Amino acid sequence: MDRGMVIFVGALLTFSSSWLGLVLYPYWQLQNEQPYAKSPGDDPYPRPLAGQALAGVRVYQANGCLYCHSQQVRSEKFGNWWEDGQMKTGADIKRGWGARRTVSRDYLYDRPTMLGTMRTGPDLANVGARYAEPWQHNHTFNPRAVNSWSVMPSFAFLYAREKVVGGQKAAKALKLGREWTVDPGYRWRPTDRQWEAILAARGTAIRQAHLAGAVARVDPDSPAGRAELLEFWLTTEEEDYQVVPTTAADALVAYLLALRKGETPLPEAKE
Amino acid sequence: MAPTTPMTEPERERSARERRAIDSSCRVPVLYFAASAVFWLLAGSALAVIASVKLHSPYFLTGSPEFTFGRVRMAHLQAVGLGWAGMAVMAAAVWLMCRLSRVGLIYPKLLVFAGTLWNVGMVLDVLGILFGDGQSVEWLDAPRYVPPFLVAGLGIVSAWTVATFRRRRERHVYVTQWYVLAAVFWLPWLYTVAVLMIFWMPATGVVQPVVNWWFGHNYLGLWMTPVAVGAAYYIIPKVIGRPIHSYYLSILGFWSLALFYSWAGMHHLIGGPLPVWLVTASVVGSMMMFIPVIAVAINHHMTMLGSFHRLRYSPALRFTVFGAITYTAVSFQGAVESLRDFSEVAHFTHYTVAHAHLGAYGFFTMIMFGLFYYMVPRLTGREWASPGLIRVHFWSSAVGITIYFVALSIAGWWQGRMLNDPNVPFANIVRYVTPFLAIRSYIAGPLMTVGHVSFAILLTANLMGWGRQRTGGPTYFVEPATGTAGGPRELAAAGR
Ligand code: HEC
Repeated sequence: MDRGMVIFVGALLTFSSSWLGLVLYPYWQLQNEQPYAKSPGDDPYPRPLAGQALAGVRVYQANGCLYCHSQQVRSEKFGNWWEDGQMKTGADIKRGWGARRTVSRDYLYDRPTMLGTMRTGPDLANVGARYAEPWQHNHTFNPRAVNSWSVMPSFAFLYAREKVVGGQKAAKALKLGREWTVDPGYRWRPTDRQWEAILAARGTAIRQAHLAGAVARVDPDSPAGRAELLEFWLTTEEEDYQVVPTTAADALVAYLLALRKGETPLPEAKE
Repeated sequence: MAPTTPMTEPERERSARERRAIDSSCRVPVLYFAASAVFWLLAGSALAVIASVKLHSPYFLTGSPEFTFGRVRMAHLQAVGLGWAGMAVMAAAVWLMCRLSRVGLIYPKLLVFAGTLWNVGMVLDVLGILFGDGQSVEWLDAPRYVPPFLVAGLGIVSAWTVATFRRRRERHVYVTQWYVLAAVFWLPWLYTVAVLMIFWMPATGVVQPVVNWWFGHNYLGLWMTPVAVGAAYYIIPKVIGRPIHSYYLSILGFWSLALFYSWAGMHHLIGGPLPVWLVTASVVGSMMMFIPVIAVAINHHMTMLGSFHRLRYSPALRFTVFGAITYTAVSFQGAVESLRDFSEVAHFTHYTVAHAHLGAYGFFTMIMFGLFYYMVPRLTGREWASPGLIRVHFWSSAVGITIYFVALSIAGWWQGRMLNDPNVPFANIVRYVTPFLAIRSYIAGPLMTVGHVSFAILLTANLMGWGRQRTGGPTYFVEPATGTAGGPRELAAAGR
């Protein structure tokens, strides 16, 4: 046989072996997997995403959340640490990332299936069970508004900062202090000059609001008192402006709330 | 290739003339691929540094969606993985195949067209991702409209490489040709199947990540690795002027790589929601990789034995040998890393990132640099303008990747240990890795980038015709002393 033919046939065979074994065989093995219902009348699990949550997948994909977050809970036998001289296992579950391990059935309707390979941030397979909508919006808008140590990017570009019309804020407006909303994505502080100007214009109102809420306080005209006043004011909401989620942010949060993979018991996910 | 009986002077002259004719037939397309590759390397480096900084300083460039970490991270991998590595492999494949088959390239313009398809695809790929069309499927992040360009370009390059092989005038088929031929056959298949099963007709659930890692691992193993190993098989004997250590080892190395590497990919999913046998099969495949790796290691390093002093002179050799040694190291590491107990810690951490860069950079990229240092002057007829700048390139790349690897391996290992201990608050892990990531952003990454910029300057100068004409020997770091073994005469003859 010609040398070229030998290489060609050999390359074909070796490669086909892995293609058949690693790709086609599991494809065939898993293609008939069905949602699970404990008894005939029950709602089957999982269900395909729909509406906003489905649109949220695109936002998650486009912004590469996958590169910091996995979506898989490893079993009770995986991930070991030492405690009181004993080796324990099951770190993922112990961290509260899911009540059980995730199995192939959990991903039946995922397009694409984003298992992930990096945990710069916590696992999100079951994050829908951990937080409610307002928390998710605040966190997505600027993670440091929730956890000062976070290195997660701010997704403020999915939110709009707009003037409040008619004196009434939108129901969806984020309830965050002005330090986070004045300059979306950053943590804002007025310069000394700005602060003087603000005090001159609205000092009385700010002081009154401060007095109403504070428990123990220092002399409001001492340097410490003025610093405290500034800190207080920064944590209050802006009066004339509000930050509202765009459709993309709503979709993303709907998707995060729908991520509940480690909850519903499945017979094959025992450990 | 290296003839076993010494050639007479007229024979030598004839074969040099023949090589010049072959080189001139592939000059335009091969240089076009090489220059495009280097362009994508620069783009990829810039994206890499941005992404790296953002990972510890989240306020950096935070306002623009185009530069959010996830998008830059995807664009980086596409730029260096498909742009740099893809096009460098194609340049190498075409040139090595012509040289070793001893035939010129026919219709070189068609390859220029193929390269343009690939470049257009890459521009759409990188910009598409930055503007929000990324897919978040590792290695396959390209937006939907990109694969047709890449598949078409790749198809032409593959067909041309095979056609060149079929027109060969050299009867002996050298091991480099085996590797190149197999690679250009594997990738089109691999890529088409992956895109088909993940995007066009998505397979259910976890079959997608299976296909994903079958592709991701094989892109490295059956495309970048074979061509880089093949290039080293070509460069090392060429530069030092003696044949490869063992023909049989090279065959063993080739076939065992073909068989086992393609089975290794699933270790990326250890502990995941997949049938356990899949991962086990891959762990076996990964362990069997010791065979091809040891075969290639013995072959490369035994050939070098007694010639290590030449690393002082020849840039092509120095880069290539750095890559060849790293290949052994990174493959051993990879095999161990595939074990369950090891992965339990290293998976989901920067340890894997360090390993990936040791492979894709310390091994693959360094060998490609070596090949380019050897190949480009033969195509342009010009020597490199500045040995000093080559030295800058070598040391900043070599030191850069070493620091990168050490810093991220340490960070990743402890990150993994802490992730596995639920008593360690998540905040502590984030804080712990930060200084290591800063070392990458401010020392390792910039060093590597300095190397790439030096290389780009050298290449541009060469293409502009600013080097000296190629009449005598190649560009050396230092001119070897005459009369000693490895003197300029001998090296020039071997390296011409
Ligand atoms: C640079 C890495 C990075 C990227 C990219 C990233 N995150 Fe995070 N994420 C983190 C880190 C670190 C934390 C933990 C600190 C915190 O709560 O902010 C986190 C926490 C979270 C949490 C809270 C999880 C928990 O259990 O407390 C959610 C939800 C989340 N991220 C969603 C997202 C979404 C959605 C995206 C994409 C739009 C995203 N992340 C992109 C790093 C990242």
